[in-house]
Amino acid sequence: MFRYEATQMILGCLQDQPLVTNLGPTTDELWAAGHRDRNFYTFGSMGLCSSIALGMALSLSEKVISLDGDGSLLMNLGTIASIGREQPSNLIVVVWDNEEWAQTGRQKSHTAFGTNLEAVARSCNITHTKTVTDLTQFKSVFKESLTTDGPWFIVAKIEEGELYPLMPQEPDATLLRFRATYLS
Amino acid sequence: MNWAQAIIASLKAQAISMIAFVPDVSIDKVTRLMEKDPFFTVVAATREEEAIGIASGAYAVGRNAAVFMQSSGFGNSVNAIASLCMPCRIPIPMFINLRGQLGEFNIAQVAMGQATRPILDVLGLPHYVLNASDDIEKVTTGALQLCYGSRQPLAICLTPLLTGGKLV
Repeated sequence: MFRYEATQMILGCLQDQPLVTNLGPTTDELWAAGHRDRNFYTFGSMGLCSSIALGMALSLSEKVISLDGDGSLLMNLGTIASIGREQPSNLIVVVWDNEEWAQTGRQKSHTAFGTNLEAVARSCNITHTKTVTDLTQFKSVFKESLTTDGPWFIVAKIEEGELYPLMPQEPDATLLRFRATYLS
Repeated sequence: MNWAQAIIASLKAQAISMIAFVPDVSIDKVTRLMEKDPFFTVVAATREEEAIGIASGAYAVGRNAAVFMQSSGFGNSVNAIASLCMPCRIPIPMFINLRGQLGEFNIAQVAMGQATRPILDVLGLPHYVLNASDDIEKVTTGALQLCYGSRQPLAICLTPLLTGGKLV
């Protein structure tokens, strides 16, 4: 499964629920697959994608989706424990797991050596978890996560595909656009 | 009204209802009160940079948020501030208990406690120290107004002269 096709699938399932993306290709590919004002792209702060989504989920009633990565989440495994502690029923964490730090020279990450992020989530008291390896299975699980209470934690095993162009880096515009949709 | 109650009054006046924190013995005097107050959502983070992320997420959906932490935790959160809050212009007020000040007993707290304000200077972020003789509500409210007015994070620092500090 490629991240880009999986990102397209996610966009096809959503109305205007907010999406938060990890830096790098996850942000670039969401931008390429379909910009929406409710896309919160990040360009730094590696590890904080799902923490940002947690802060949103605790402040909203709608579903909030985090598109995180294995290398980033390994920097901040503690936030999985915070999600398990807070139990936000409207949070869906998707971890793109390519088992490598793709952006820094394709070094193998810890998930290539037995770290099981789904098992970490389960041991942090997140009960709705799944590891998916193909698009059909992912679509089925993602749709279920949208319609049932979470928190959900979905590990999506992916392989790196073609590189998409860098999104124009506009963190301030991202914040303004995104936040404006919540201010009446 | 004691200093902790004055901080809470300032937070409420700015509609800051999301609080992310990592425990500290001095800020506990504030977070303990907030946890009993239904106005606030108080979230315990495992690490201070995570608290910055949680607060930033709340702000992004239109809810004002603040972070409470110790100076050691400010060290843990510098990249989150510099690569998320500053480029996105997310105004997160940070209440930081400064260790390494008068009466400090733990050598491991000295360097980071004393480096906290110089690091804020290098980042170009304002910081204010609350003194016992200050009108705490006035200073804190002014700092919070500047935070939102400038759309950048800033720090409001607590010291042992205000809080009583941590005793051996």
